[in-house]
Amino acid sequence: MTDDSQAPYAAALASLPLMTVRRLTALIGAASPEAVWRAVSAGEVRSLPSVASVLGASAREVSSRWTSTARRHDVVATWAAMRDVGRSAVWFGGPGYPPPLAADPEPPPVLFFEGCLEHVTAPAAALVGTRAATGYGRDVARLLGRQLAEAGVVVVSGLALGIDGAAHEGALAATAAPPTAVVGSGLDVVYPRRHARLWQRVATAGVLLTEAPPGTAPEPWRFPLRNRIIAGLADVVVVVESRATGGSMHTVDHAHARGRPVLAVPGSIMSGQSTGTNQLLADGATPVRDVDDVLVALSLAGRRLPTERSPEGAVESVTRPAALDPTAEIVLRAVDWTPTRTDEILRRTGLSLSAAAVTLNRLEVLGRVRGGGGWWERHGHADRSG
Amino acid sequence: MTASIPAATLLGVDGHAVDVEVHVSNGLPCFTVVGLPDASCREARDRVRAALLSSGRAWPQRRITVNLAPSSIRKGGAALDLPIAVGVLVADGVVPAEAVRDFAFLGELGLDGSVRPVPGTLSLVDAVTAPTIVVAAASAVEARLPRRHRVRPVEHLTELVDALLGTSPWPDDPPPSPVSLPAPMPDLADVRGQPHGRWAMEVAAAGGHHVLLVGPPGAGKTMLARRLPGLLPPLDRVEALEVTRVHSAAGLALPPSGLVEWPPLRAPHHGASAVSLIGGGSGWLRPGEISTAHRGVLLLDEIAEFPAAVLDALRQPLEEGVVRVARAKATVAFPARFQLVGTMNPCPCGDGGPPGSCRCSEQARQRYGRRLSGPLLDRFDLRVPVMRPLVEDLLAPHASPDLEPSRVVAGRVVEARARATGRGVRANAELPSELLDLLAPMDAPATAVLEFKLRTGALSARGLHRIHRVARTIADLGGADVIGEEHVCGALELRTDIDLLEQA
Repeated sequence: MTDDSQAPYAAALASLPLMTVRRLTALIGAASPEAVWRAVSAGEVRSLPSVASVLGASAREVSSRWTSTARRHDVVATWAAMRDVGRSAVWFGGPGYPPPLAADPEPPPVLFFEGCLEHVTAPAAALVGTRAATGYGRDVARLLGRQLAEAGVVVVSGLALGIDGAAHEGALAATAAPPTAVVGSGLDVVYPRRHARLWQRVATAGVLLTEAPPGTAPEPWRFPLRNRIIAGLADVVVVVESRATGGSMHTVDHAHARGRPVLAVPGSIMSGQSTGTNQLLADGATPVRDVDDVLVALSLAGRRLPTERSPEGAVESVTRPAALDPTAEIVLRAVDWTPTRTDEILRRTGLSLSAAAVTLNRLEVLGRVRGGGGWWERHGHADRSG
Repeated sequence: MTASIPAATLLGVDGHAVDVEVHVSNGLPCFTVVGLPDASCREARDRVRAALLSSGRAWPQRRITVNLAPSSIRKGGAALDLPIAVGVLVADGVVPAEAVRDFAFLGELGLDGSVRPVPGTLSLVDAVTAPTIVVAAASAVEARLPRRHRVRPVEHLTELVDALLGTSPWPDDPPPSPVSLPAPMPDLADVRGQPHGRWAMEVAAAGGHHVLLVGPPGAGKTMLARRLPGLLPPLDRVEALEVTRVHSAAGLALPPSGLVEWPPLRAPHHGASAVSLIGGGSGWLRPGEISTAHRGVLLLDEIAEFPAAVLDALRQPLEEGVVRVARAKATVAFPARFQLVGTMNPCPCGDGGPPGSCRCSEQARQRYGRRLSGPLLDRFDLRVPVMRPLVEDLLAPHASPDLEPSRVVAGRVVEARARATGRGVRANAELPSELLDLLAPMDAPATAVLEFKLRTGALSARGLHRIHRVARTIADLGGADVIGEEHVCGALELRTDIDLLEQA
């Protein structure tokens, strides 16, 4: 961890009310964080010319709020409490600030983190996509996440439901490169709650980053800003599944602005969840047929490690499928690559519900189908080399 | 002169014996009723007076005091009209006291002297010890159900007085109603397709599991739910008497045989108040919907639309099978052992469709899921996805062998229930979690399936018990002693994987 006498003050500045990225950038750029903090506490922050110009007409109101908050704020105690729970912060210009972001056009002025910041290194690939992912999208995200991590690529994502979570799960299954997550809320506000465990696993294995000070709620406007950090950290951005109007498209815009290559995973033209990715492909994004396409974009072709079975077994690609018994063969043929209803499978196979259920569950253990809740779909990665 | 006439009054669904004491003495003509009568009971004065005058009897121009003993119990309803009228006649000397010895009377009087049936006749008759009981002709069948009394049905006060005086014989029974057939219940054969739904109903009936049907509007959730009572075994005599007692006390129409022989179905609208559901009311403590669904099915259509407080009021009765309603004036216990069936949409837009196709926001979906509290959700062993029927199934010929009628399914249900009885419970839903491993052993392949599901996070520890219990029922339906792979897989197939439900 960094040992930086200025970081507590930078963290305190970031926690002031009415704070925006622009205001914080001006504060951090004006002088050393400690000096700026003293100016804020003394009510003299408006005398700093760069800050005054950013605050504009509301300068008096904002600076008085800051001053009254700063006078009640115990910088040292707050910092110590944060360090006690394993969290810390770095500031733009301070030691330990991640190099990829230091060169960014809109660098986050203060970054709070949990885990090991040294993990934020190149090469890195962002895996992003919709929260309402299909089983196909989750599979692809999990597979790419694991294979990229095995090849030593840092997987950057946002820990959201759907694609983000699946990408992190995949990355955690490998050990060669720990994952990086950029979240939109404070580090003590786990969002979405359903990912509490995944959140903890990422913090333990890799690093959790956020621009938001502790206690910040996941307000909707924070997510587009969060996406710019994801784009800034990654060398390539892979969109796994997204609607044409999805939030992942913000990440794509940020990636374009930074000259980062954007790759998209082709999806069914019948699926609403792939309209955005298919549009990206039409606009010239590189298609992702398997992990090699991503590695090529990272100039890492050939770094792919031999496939090994992960502990879960089921979420694994099956390169050489084992021979199936005739019933399983019939049932497998009745399942589409898109979600198929169980009653449709029964109609196609003529089997009874319990017989079909047994076969489908066996196929699921073999990793050939996946399902539940009355829906089943084909599963398993069609490997180009195999 | 005084007279004391045995009768009974209703409190909740139970009858309590009451002695109607009438005292007629010299003094200013007046007529008072004492002994904790409620409003409907006090109005008896006017009905009794008019009925006696209409029957051609003179009203004694003397001081009449009616005491309803014991005076600690609150008396309600009009069932005491007839005993009061008889008491006045006896106390006035019109009818000799010996003529009414060993007689009890129950009935409401019309102003023209007609005798009308009263709610709760079965419970009232049960509370009476006198060997002969006089009731309204329309209540005769019901009054005979306890099989302990000689029942004398009368249609008019005149008939009764003439019979008591011996001037004419007791009137005959009303003509017996046509031979009672089981009420036509909706048949499972009407449900096209829906292999999941049909099978879920069979499993629910066999195991007594509470069911939550989750699916888009128009998928046939309600249609399936209404067919559940038809799959349940008919009530035995003890159960039938329990149910009839509640239905009679609630004033519901009884079948021609007088006995409710089939599991009832109650489906209150989601606008229902907590009191209408669990029972109560300020004046007369009336059984609620959960009690009229006793030994039957309570269908809560669109369960997520019910107010949370109303749903949570169901938790205690679901646990104990009885609901105790306490009011300042009385506390009564209503029986409430029912099978709960809920239907709901998968999310606020209700559209369903393949996983991932719903466009509701995460927050909206979670809010929707949270309308059912965790403890209530926990009671549903079966949470079945119901999808719109396939077009092919809708157009299939009606006589398809897949479309089994209810009676075929019900036959299997009876056999499965017999196996559960061997385990010491009425149905598998009552198997305690801690005894599942002992009473419902699983073979190795079945355990392997569950282990895989647990390891991949597709099944939670709570979900495991539910699957285990349902698999036991499926094995019972298949006649297997040990739970096998097919039974577990079948149970998994009857489970919706709506994350918001598994969250709770």
